[in-house]
Amino acid sequence: MSENTTTTPQTQTAQTDADPSPTTTTGETVEQTRDEWTDYEFRGEAKMAVEDLDVHYGDDHALKGVSMEIPEESVTALIGPSGCGKSTYLRCLNRMNDRVSSARIDGSVKLDGREIYQDGVNLVELRKRVGMVFQSPNPFPKTIRENIAYGPKKHGDLDTGLLARLLNRSDADERDDLVERCLRDAALWDEVSDRLDDNALGLSGGQQQRLCIARCLSVDPEVILMDEPASALDPIATAKIEDLIDDLSEEYTVVIVTHNMQQAARISDQTAVFLTGGELVEYGDTDQVFENPHSERVEDYITGKFG
Amino acid sequence: MAGAGRTDTRLVESETTETDAVAGVAVGLSAVLFALAVAALFERVSLTGSLFGVPTVTLLGGLLTALGVAVIAFGVGSRFGYVETNPDPSAGLIAGFGAAVPWVLIGGSVASQTLGLGVGVGAVAGVATGAVAFAASVLPREDLGSTVPLGALLGVTGLVFLTGVIGPTWVWELGWAQQAAVTAEFLIPVSTLFSALYGGWASAKAYGGFGARGRHMGAYVLVYVNALSIVAFLFILVAFVVVQGIPGLLNGTEFGFGTGPTTSVFGVSVALPVSVPFLMNGVALFNDFQGVLPAIVGTVWLVVGAVVLAVPLGVGAALFLTEYADRGRFTQVVEVATNGLWSTPSIVFGLFGFAFLIPRFGNGKSLLSGMITLGFMLLPLVVITSREAMLSVPDEYRDASAALGVSKWQTIRSVVLPAALPGVVTGVILGVGRIAGETAPILLTMAGGTFVPGSQTADVIGGFQFTSAPPFVANPELLQATSALPYQLYALITAGVGASSNVGNADEFRWATALVLLVVVLSFYAIGIATRYYFRRRLKHT
Ligand SMILES: Nc1ncnc2c1ncn2[C@@H]1O[C@H](COP(=O)(O)OP(=O)(O)OP(=O)(O)O)[C@@H](O)[C@H]1O
Ligand SMILES: [Mg+2]
Repeated sequence: MSENTTTTPQTQTAQTDADPSPTTTTGETVEQTRDEWTDYEFRGEAKMAVEDLDVHYGDDHALKGVSMEIPEESVTALIGPSGCGKSTYLRCLNRMNDRVSSARIDGSVKLDGREIYQDGVNLVELRKRVGMVFQSPNPFPKTIRENIAYGPKKHGDLDTGLLARLLNRSDADERDDLVERCLRDAALWDEVSDRLDDNALGLSGGQQQRLCIARCLSVDPEVILMDEPASALDPIATAKIEDLIDDLSEEYTVVIVTHNMQQAARISDQTAVFLTGGELVEYGDTDQVFENPHSERVEDYITGKFG
Repeated sequence: MAGAGRTDTRLVESETTETDAVAGVAVGLSAVLFALAVAALFERVSLTGSLFGVPTVTLLGGLLTALGVAVIAFGVGSRFGYVETNPDPSAGLIAGFGAAVPWVLIGGSVASQTLGLGVGVGAVAGVATGAVAFAASVLPREDLGSTVPLGALLGVTGLVFLTGVIGPTWVWELGWAQQAAVTAEFLIPVSTLFSALYGGWASAKAYGGFGARGRHMGAYVLVYVNALSIVAFLFILVAFVVVQGIPGLLNGTEFGFGTGPTTSVFGVSVALPVSVPFLMNGVALFNDFQGVLPAIVGTVWLVVGAVVLAVPLGVGAALFLTEYADRGRFTQVVEVATNGLWSTPSIVFGLFGFAFLIPRFGNGKSLLSGMITLGFMLLPLVVITSREAMLSVPDEYRDASAALGVSKWQTIRSVVLPAALPGVVTGVILGVGRIAGETAPILLTMAGGTFVPGSQTADVIGGFQFTSAPPFVANPELLQATSALPYQLYALITAGVGASSNVGNADEFRWATALVLLVVVLSFYAIGIATRYYFRRRLKHT
């Protein structure tokens, strides 16, 4: 990784139409990125379209001119070395980066053709439609049941409050059904079905991770952003989560960050490779990216030569 | 010298050996001496009398000497290999300074006072003795360095008491313009106390076999004693007030059906089966027994009123500052202002209430003015602690909620506030402890008097009157002057000698008032702790 930074001077911008042949700066050869390597053509609609996205954290240029279209009802994998901006990119898709005070975001992101970086966008509504599972598990200090039911309750879809109970209008049954369904989908139900009223902070790291996936499913988003959802899971739970993602892709649009190449190859329809410095180097059909990448650096990364 | 005689570090401690037992006894002896010293300091043990048939000072001296000899024996035994230990090459600088300080005092006072050589020589002698003690601690191997100077200190102190150089009647006139003297009643317990601490430290190190484990034991003993003495101090204080206050409190108490005053609860009159006049009466000419009921009720209402006023305002302000306002110049200014407000002397708040509130609320001292003044006093602490509590709620919770498409206010209400509540309650507990004991603001805003008649008992709930014209509700009870316990106590103390004719035994009356004040404040404290426990349990693993 450090090797790579030394051979990619900051002055060199991504997306140049310049001659793709090696340029010499410090006496070493540097490969440039080319537009057609990230020009992924697919059939069907683009669920989300990102154009010229730049993100700065203070003076730190974390994402450089990223453009990519994410097709509907499919799984898109984001891979790349640590610190290359995958999480940053993901957080731009539901504007969670707005919450980082030092972040400055330029460019355009469209959801179903509607610009989300413009005045008057209802962030609450946006995040209902574009859900997110964070890199580190962050359950609420509440019971497992409350964690899952939290979103729907706050959206007014479930009412189990005191007044509803008094009026005999409580949605407790619906809630319990929802809790069970979400937990089953996230492969957690068997482990916690008898302790739904225990505090979620008492779960193991991997269980918390699956709880967060279940919580994200509970609000039924259209796009699901997952930041390394299987990083703390054993092979069995990982397989279950991969099955879940496979099922989800029939109805939902899933974008997943992973450090596991095999996982990306197994579950995704298309793969985007970010490399250090925050550039999107290659984006295309998963098979093509893994078997026949255009970029040498991507090939090196995938075959484990660096990163 | 370094590393000589070093044995392999024991991974598994073998069963207790005799030397361990001896060192353990030495630690226990230090604890006993410490307890005796504290008891003597609070005059629970008489220095002129005797304990177990031995004059107290002689007993203390004997025990100190024995402890000193044991400590030295341990160090020397370890140095010459009779005891199996793991000493470091040196006892270290901290032990050196620790040993030097008492020796400076001893050397200095012996040279300047006992030998009469004057202050200058005394200072030089003190520094010289301290330097010797320092060197004796730091230079030799740890087992000698951390025992011999301290053991010698214990021995010297013990011998001074044993030989009667400093006896129970010893006095050292300082000869200052003010009357000042160091008496035996002060010097003996205090020097025993510190000697016991040093003895405990040294023998705990020995018990741990010196080295890293020995230091751990030494630190453990010191920390433990420290914590214990805080508990002991609280206990002694409470016990003292209880013992002094009980007679006055129970004066004239009767049990039995129908002995108590009649109260009405929801229109049903009930005669209480117990009568405690001190708690149930005011002061009146024809009472058999006088009491402080108006002040008790006044204190309770004051605290309730201040909390009702300050908590919503304070929590709201803290919410605004942490969740809504951008962190910047403005929040910094507010922070400085709240901290400043919290440090403002209570008499200043009182003056504000006197000059600003009283003219606006009925032009006389009143319960309402007192509540508002104390509420303002409580406000800054509630803001500070609530803010602290909200800042310590992890941002992950807020992110998780936002990513589910939940609005900011709902996130605050359902995630941030519940997680911050235990901290908020802690702040309120601390604040209530302060305002419930305030005298100055009450003096200026609601007063009362030295002896408050029962008619001044504020009946806030019963005082509400509803009218058909605006403002629809009125409560004259809130505008009445009434009393509060700390103020009444202050008034009783300053009322002087003439007071006794009114309330029988004035001294008993005062102590009983102090006891009631303590109980009322501690009850609020208990309520606060229970609330905090409740909120905390909901957040913690179950
Ligand atoms: N909140 C933030 N404030 C400042 N800099 C940030 C912040 N978040 C990320 N960065 C910086 O942006 C760059 C990209 O970070 P990002 O978290 O997107 O990496 P990543 O690809 O997700 O890495 P990983 O695989 O380790 O999770 C890094 O250099 C990081 O230091
Ligand atoms: Mg990341």
